[in-house]
Amino acid sequence: MQRVSKLVRLGIVAFGAHLLLACGAAPDMAPKSAPSFGGAAHGAMEAPGAPAPQRPPTDKDNDGVADAVDLAKDERIAQGGGGQGQPKVVADAPHGTSMLIYTATLHLAVFQVTTQMNTVEKIARDQGGYLSVRNDQQITIRIPRGKFDDTLRMIEKLGDVVHRSVTAQDVTDEYVDLEIRLKNNRAVRDRLQALLEKAGVKEAIEIQKELARVTEEIERIEGRLKLLKDKIAYSTITVSFQPLETSTVRDASILPFPWLQDLGLSSLLNVHP
Amino acid sequence: MDFVKRAVCMGAFAAVAIGTTACGRPFKVETAPGFVELDNQEPQYSYRAIAPEGVVMAVRVVPLDDKGDLAFWTRSVILRFRQMNAYALLETVDVTSRDGTPGKELRFGHDEAGKPYLYRVRLFVAQNRLFVIEVGGTKEQMERYKASVDWMLLSVLVKCDTVVSPVLASKTCNRW
Repeated sequence: MQRVSKLVRLGIVAFGAHLLLACGAAPDMAPKSAPSFGGAAHGAMEAPGAPAPQRPPTDKDNDGVADAVDLAKDERIAQGGGGQGQPKVVADAPHGTSMLIYTATLHLAVFQVTTQMNTVEKIARDQGGYLSVRNDQQITIRIPRGKFDDTLRMIEKLGDVVHRSVTAQDVTDEYVDLEIRLKNNRAVRDRLQALLEKAGVKEAIEIQKELARVTEEIERIEGRLKLLKDKIAYSTITVSFQPLETSTVRDASILPFPWLQDLGLSSLLNVHP
Repeated sequence: MDFVKRAVCMGAFAAVAIGTTACGRPFKVETAPGFVELDNQEPQYSYRAIAPEGVVMAVRVVPLDDKGDLAFWTRSVILRFRQMNAYALLETVDVTSRDGTPGKELRFGHDEAGKPYLYRVRLFVAQNRLFVIEVGGTKEQMERYKASVDWMLLSVLVKCDTVVSPVLASKTCNRW
């Protein structure tokens, strides 16, 4: 009789261990073509017919909690380039085309700065953009990506362009990487939350810590993604009314005619002997 | 016979006298009403006139010794003002002096202590010289004096025709 009850207990333990192992192995078992890591994990935890956690957590369950924490640590390593340097789950790239951030800098020769700045600001508004920064000598505007070229041409007509610089920064890799990390972190968070429901007090504290870290990471990634989306949607144009010093070139191009250096309003208008 | 000799001598003397005393400017410019020509502007300027509100027009004459054409000097002046950092080239206009010499006018804007100024430079190449005509003042006063300034600019001769001697005329305008 005692042997029978021992066998029953062993059976229960084996069943519990099997469940926990399955739980810990879920990420690796998830199909690589799965649209999201979270979906696969939830599927494993909440699949119809799976036993619902109706009893208090046991030591064996705590082993599962430890596995989950380890998984979170593995996720951290994967994100940080540890191990093989690849995220455990590969998400599909959401965008087929390059994601570019356009930035332009123009230096216009100085004349009626206030009026010109007002005009630049008006152009920005007319083009559906907005003023970002404005000071005595410089103005920065944000323009919808589709209006970037037109706006640049309009601003260039305002004066004598001394210097022009346009850059297109490709952030496709960073964007895709961030999206993958976000999905992975969300999946880890969901799993931690599920485990938290059946964790003991001691383990719950550990899970809470890990949960806080993962949540913080999710918020950070979401913030960065939001910023990238904004930078992609709105190009930045900075117009400076004070040209940069380019002393090397300037010195080389000064012509050796003294009268030429003497030209200008200061000589002309200074009529006092 | 004595009368003829005396007349010839006097004529020769007069020609020499005119030739030696004629050290005038190699250009001609009219000073518009409302402007006063300033004395003793050499060697920087060959001519300078001022209006009470401070609008100034001046002419420089630069000997070229066959160096540079109008395009070269126009570009040099544009680059010079770019180097000065505070002048904006607003416009470049083809112009002609009263004697038909082609030239260029460069119009610049400039801010000085928050006040806008306008500065116009006309360049002519003639007589193996570069004529640099400058006009400047506050934007408000330059607009007020625009008619007078334009009139003075149109009055400029950098080559002078004369019935006496085209050769000498190519050297000076105000000699006769």
